[in-house]
Amino acid sequence: MGVIEDEPQSGHFSVKRRDDIFAEKLKTRIWQEIPSDSNPYLAKACLCHGYELFDLMQNCRYSEVLYLLFRGELPDKDESKLLEQLQIALINPGLRHPATHSAVYAGVGKSDPAHILPISLSVLGGQHLGGAEVEQAMRFLRRACRKPVEFTIQQHILPMLEQQNTVKADIHPVPGFGSHFGDIDPLVNQMARHLQCLPASSKCLTWGMTFTSEIATYNIGWLMTGLAAAVFADLGFQPRAGAGLYQLLCAPGLLAHGLEYANKPLSAVPFVGDEQYQFESEDG
Amino acid sequence: MDSFALWDEYRQVVRSYNGGWRIGKGVYCHGYSIMDDLVGNISYMQMVILNVTGHLPERRLADWFEARQICMSWPDPRIWCNQIGALAGTLRTSAVAATTAGVLASDSRAYGGPRTIIEGMHFIQQALHDYNNGLTADDIIQEFCAQHGGKPTMMGYARPIAKGDERIEAMERVRLSLGFDVGPHLTLANKIEKVMIEHYDEGMNINGYVSAFVSDQEFSAEDANRISTVLVSSGVTACYVDTMKRPAETFNALRCEDVIYVGPPPRRVKSRSINYKK
Repeated sequence: MGVIEDEPQSGHFSVKRRDDIFAEKLKTRIWQEIPSDSNPYLAKACLCHGYELFDLMQNCRYSEVLYLLFRGELPDKDESKLLEQLQIALINPGLRHPATHSAVYAGVGKSDPAHILPISLSVLGGQHLGGAEVEQAMRFLRRACRKPVEFTIQQHILPMLEQQNTVKADIHPVPGFGSHFGDIDPLVNQMARHLQCLPASSKCLTWGMTFTSEIATYNIGWLMTGLAAAVFADLGFQPRAGAGLYQLLCAPGLLAHGLEYANKPLSAVPFVGDEQYQFESEDG
Repeated sequence: MDSFALWDEYRQVVRSYNGGWRIGKGVYCHGYSIMDDLVGNISYMQMVILNVTGHLPERRLADWFEARQICMSWPDPRIWCNQIGALAGTLRTSAVAATTAGVLASDSRAYGGPRTIIEGMHFIQQALHDYNNGLTADDIIQEFCAQHGGKPTMMGYARPIAKGDERIEAMERVRLSLGFDVGPHLTLANKIEKVMIEHYDEGMNINGYVSAFVSDQEFSAEDANRISTVLVSSGVTACYVDTMKRPAETFNALRCEDVIYVGPPPRRVKSRSINYKK
């Protein structure tokens, strides 16, 4: 690399403050706190989108208030049922899921129990079967469901299959759909059939069912991220909420498995022996 | 062959490109014995770069990265990631929780940290490609504007809160003291800045400078991102320490009236006639 200039680069912009106007106070549409009469730092009442918290505690289900928090209105009976059934479907990714696995290692490693969720939810934020894929799948589904499934197959599935025919790893030709361990995931596809029969199921779930029936011949189908995305989209949640909602709904299982191991000795999990720990060269 | 044969190859075995611990024999990193070859002989930043790239860099390059790390992490809790460290301190989290939370916040599209360097390096590398094919710095900006709503919002130029960037002068001194030449990416970055100052009243920021310098050192954007993962950690920890020394919940204390509510007026949950029992 040749010497072009060897003096300090002068003439950079001198530093000066911008005249940006910043908000003087925080604003929220979600939550109102009514100050107590004697201490302005304490609230004597809280309202969520206008509903008093005690009113919600006495008259609503958790899933309804969850929906209210993000959507601004209480759901109807059908919407509530769809969300609640998805909450149960997602409640535990299972111990083999890498996010749950990380919770187990946080637990058995005697990490502070307060860290089990932040640790495992960070792992669950990824683009492969994680929160980031849910957001991408919501954006994809909201566009794709306006067109026939054949369009997506022509645009995304067939070209990828041609490119990937020698690759053994899983493929996600579009976000939220693909193979899992080389095959269609039977449980997720069964869940999709069930949720699609609920009255609040709408365009995205319906489109996804048609799509997966067409692509099954290529050994690809619904992934859990795609199913969650379809339900979230049909319930009117915004894509940017998708990653966090997915993490939120999967959190109980991660925490439960982490805590399950928090009292166990380090020897309660495998520690691979040197003979099974193989150094490899990236160059083959 | 089974459709799941790939995963069976990885079952009950751990494979590593890096190296690791051979119990009773040594600890290895990309062919080096950590205890025999590296400890006491190389800097921490050399080790960071070795772990990311698989190659041990020369000391002065690691020293440049270390200086950049100091540039990028200030003990000012008004900075977004640092504010998270300060808030964690005011709620008495552990230092590790506070610092990792702040580091996670720096994985941001909005301000200079590990994520923005990817876009910054992609921009200046494409720009140099275009420059070598005959475009001028002005052309490069115009072309960018044409694709981005008329605004020269290239990653690496302009910054929030202030115009100009004091860190560039500091890193220029470091570059000179370590004996690094100005390469083609940084030369072009400076040309682009001259046009930006002249026509848009905006300058280069530290991310633009770093993106260009690191491109000249032939790092990939992905490796630069990985070397930069804990870029802000020191400043976040400093802000945590500060608020830990003060009474709980005193950092950014807010009265109820300090948050403006702009949502619907009070209303009642209607009588529910839903029978949830199946």
